[in-house]
Amino acid sequence: MSAGPRRLSRARSEAIAGMLMVAPVLVWLAATILYPLGTSVAISLRDIRIIGSDGGFVGLGNYADVLEMARLWAALGRSLVWVTGNAVLQTLLALGTALLLNQRFRGVRLVRVWVILSWIVPTIVVVIIWRWLLGTSGGVVNYLLVSLGLTDRPVGFFAGQGSAMASLVVINSWRWFPFVAVMLLAGLQRIPADLYEAAAIDGAGPWQRFRRITWPLLQPTMLVLGVVGTLLSFNVFDIIWLTTAGGPSGATQTLPVLIYETAFKSYRLGQAAAMSVLVSLLLMALAVLLTRALAPKGQG
Amino acid sequence: MKRRLGQSLAIAGGLLGLAVVVLLPFWFIATGAIKAPQEIIARVPTLLPQSFTLRHFDKLLGASDYPRYLGNSLVVGLGSTAITVVLSVLAAYGFYRLRFPGRDLLFRAVLVAYAFPGILILIPLYGMMSQAGLIDTPAALVIVNVTFASPFAIWMMRSFFASIPAELEEAALIDGASRLAILLRIMVPLAAPGIASVAIFAFIASWTEYLFASVLILSDANRTLPVGFAGIIGQYQIDWGLMLAGATLATVPVVLLFGIVGRWFIAGLTAGAVK
Repeated sequence: MSAGPRRLSRARSEAIAGMLMVAPVLVWLAATILYPLGTSVAISLRDIRIIGSDGGFVGLGNYADVLEMARLWAALGRSLVWVTGNAVLQTLLALGTALLLNQRFRGVRLVRVWVILSWIVPTIVVVIIWRWLLGTSGGVVNYLLVSLGLTDRPVGFFAGQGSAMASLVVINSWRWFPFVAVMLLAGLQRIPADLYEAAAIDGAGPWQRFRRITWPLLQPTMLVLGVVGTLLSFNVFDIIWLTTAGGPSGATQTLPVLIYETAFKSYRLGQAAAMSVLVSLLLMALAVLLTRALAPKGQG
Repeated sequence: MKRRLGQSLAIAGGLLGLAVVVLLPFWFIATGAIKAPQEIIARVPTLLPQSFTLRHFDKLLGASDYPRYLGNSLVVGLGSTAITVVLSVLAAYGFYRLRFPGRDLLFRAVLVAYAFPGILILIPLYGMMSQAGLIDTPAALVIVNVTFASPFAIWMMRSFFASIPAELEEAALIDGASRLAILLRIMVPLAAPGIASVAIFAFIASWTEYLFASVLILSDANRTLPVGFAGIIGQYQIDWGLMLAGATLATVPVVLLFGIVGRWFIAGLTAGAVK
């Protein structure tokens, strides 16, 4: 009789405490993401040019202009190439690295920590490293290519349209693959060791163990990483901007670069906002996938 | 278990490859920073420096605004870290240890924020910041950095909170402790490694942020390292010595930080698995 109301009031106080604790971050995120997103829609309906100025209401005019732009569709295509290239290269590098770090050897803890070095340095450092290593004067990569006889003279990696995009994919993957590897390692360690022992007793070789145990059991982790990674690499702006600024002749102008240029170089704020809204809609489908994959499982 | 020779060789080969891919580039910039200019752009690159000079560091610290950018980045980084830690520890406790209506839905909303493309709200945020008088201040960057760091930070706290036995909480509740007291006196000390990993994530995220820092900061005096340093790079005549020295110095703080708490950070990323 007395336990009933007490339990109820305790559940209630727990609920109040819980809401109070998550409230600050929710208010913060709403004010800095949701509210601006709404403002974006408002801006996209106006002919605003330079930031801070005002412009007349043009309805869906900006959307019509933007959708007719060949540049928008070209940038969408480049974004797809960018996301796909990064996904493939990072998955390969990260999977190999994770399998290596999942072995037992002396110093494995140290390697697991420092492998992530390229991920923790500022983008500008990444950009300087690779602009120098891939450069035509003093660049180590070109020196190796020439001395191995693969080319006669240094390659201008950032000068060719295809090679600029490929180089950027390599640079961005170099930056991100250790992070992905550490996450995959977490997935690998979740696989029970007795499965491998049982398989070994049954006479399964290393390839069979990978194919039949590791690969299928790694799928949930890969799925989550795939969705999150796709969104994160879609967003990448700074590496591209600081290395090629979208060039040569637009060859590396992905959607984020195009939006940035439209807003802050061409001063067509309304149009840039319209692009932002369209891209948001495009990414919404992926976000839905992401939330389903990452939903919390039960209590704590 | 005895390991076969082939397996050992494969591991050694893999580690060598990993070292070449991850570490060698850093070796080249760190050693390049102390090479004489003509050696930096020599046709045949040198693995070990043949010359030694500190002139690039002299120029960087004495004749450029680099030290100021470094200071600005530290201020923004520490501010972002402090606020992110407070907000995300509170929220993670709420999400992972307490039950309340709408919890799962709100949690999903927070996760969506993690992968949210910053470029999509850059334009309206500029407008909001200028209305609030925050354009060209470190506060503007702190606000944005907290926004983009806290969702992942909350997620990182999950396994640390999950591993603390519920009995501890129960006992404290019976003693009449409030939820906040439980969080501060029991959960925070026990989840200290988690808090360290959240802090390092928030600091690194802020330390590397470029997009918002390039738009929300107008005056050279307030620029953070990534933007200010990018400005030092001349488009045509690149002073590589200066660049390599700057890149080396920008790497040092995060490497020091990572040397101290890096293993907790990796634990934070993988903890769910280690249990």
